[in-house]
Amino acid sequence: MTKIVPTFGLLTAVTLCAAGTARAHHSFAAEFDITKPVTLAGKVTKIEWTNPHSYLFIDVPDPKTGAVTNWEIEMGSPNGLTRLGWTRNLVKAGDAVTVEGSLGRNKPNLANARSVVMTDTGKKLGAASSEGAR
Amino acid sequence: MKWIYVAALLLLAASSGFSQNGGGVIRGAVRLPDGPVARATIQAKHGSSGKAFTTMSDTSGQFALRDLPEGTYEVSVPEIGLTTNRFVQRNVSVQPGKITALDIVLRKGNLGVLGDDNAYLTVRGKSANVRAAPAPRMGDGHPDLSGVWNGNVDPNPQEASLLPWANEVLNQRRATAFRDQPSGFCLPGDPTPTIPLLYRFVHTKGLLVQLFEQEPHYRQIFLDGRAHPNDADPTWMGHSVGRWERDTLVIDTTGFDDKSWLIFATGLPHTERLHMVERYRRPDLGHLVVDLTLEDPGAFVKPVERHMTWELAPGEEILESICTENNKFPENAGLK
Repeated sequence: MTKIVPTFGLLTAVTLCAAGTARAHHSFAAEFDITKPVTLAGKVTKIEWTNPHSYLFIDVPDPKTGAVTNWEIEMGSPNGLTRLGWTRNLVKAGDAVTVEGSLGRNKPNLANARSVVMTDTGKKLGAASSEGAR
Repeated sequence: MKWIYVAALLLLAASSGFSQNGGGVIRGAVRLPDGPVARATIQAKHGSSGKAFTTMSDTSGQFALRDLPEGTYEVSVPEIGLTTNRFVQRNVSVQPGKITALDIVLRKGNLGVLGDDNAYLTVRGKSANVRAAPAPRMGDGHPDLSGVWNGNVDPNPQEASLLPWANEVLNQRRATAFRDQPSGFCLPGDPTPTIPLLYRFVHTKGLLVQLFEQEPHYRQIFLDGRAHPNDADPTWMGHSVGRWERDTLVIDTTGFDDKSWLIFATGLPHTERLHMVERYRRPDLGHLVVDLTLEDPGAFVKPVERHMTWELAPGEEILESICTENNKFPENAGLK
């Protein structure tokens, strides 16, 4: 059974410079709170491979009660993910994933994904050539 | 949360006979928490003279700035697309004949969202494989600007000087985290060529077409000698005509409405008096030098300039991106 890993911690000494807060499609800071990092582990229930953003939906059980909450995880566009080597069939319903990201500001059970890892294998998705020696 | 952690480790290591002319050296590596960053531009600005020295990191992220006059320096690395934020380290001391070690850990831009902020590095990596060759030419002898280009930001952007009303609007936009930016609602983001995304130029004799993965997805630049229309309806992208000055294509655009936010993340307001001049020069196969001037006597105290160098992005195409398909921004930003 998957479980929830450390929850919401507060980051200190994080500042966002005004010139860096808008992104290609829209304002990030208006949607997500960088001071509220979140790590979620659960099973994929659905993927929306759509513009301007793709979404993973995952069932995350509460470690104490076992109650399951369905989380909505925002990622980049299919175009951006494709350029990272992700494909629309890479993750399927039932796959166990661990997501790191930031908590949504205005909607419950919403976060974005900074990284998505297949829980069983430890394989980091969409990171093949995006980082490191490039 | 190591990804957000920014650290600059400064070590002064004694060394003799390293430099040929007795200058000092700043040496180190540029990396993200998850790996080295190749082809990052490192700039060291000498404190007393203001002189700037630049170099690029190699494939393992290593760099060295040699023969530096003694003194203190401001070392900076500009943003890399949407991936990393600007890095600045002040008061880096350089002494004759010695090596100052500086390891630069970049911070991911915005929130580092998978497939958004970080896809840029992948595309950028491919540009390193473009062979050194002259720019292709059109039948009339002018450079052919065709190709898929990786847009870029100005590495040394100057602060815009705005009229009071415009400054007030800009401050309001910053205070509200750019939540009202038109692109969040699937409206055109920015008519200026300042977004670090892919742009394709389709260059024909009488028409240059620009394609990109944001609304409105295309732009037409007329090269057939026509003038701007009189009293045209104002539009998001305006009316563009181009002419050659030797090997530089000069594009003049007027007829803007006042709805767009200018210069990508800067989000500058403007009026319908906006006048945009772009100068494109292709010095070789793999590079496009883009010089931008924005004039607006209704909003700017003086013209706003940006200077970018785009890289050819081999193997990339402009892909479909229909924003209204599943745009949750208004809901997720609490605006709906």
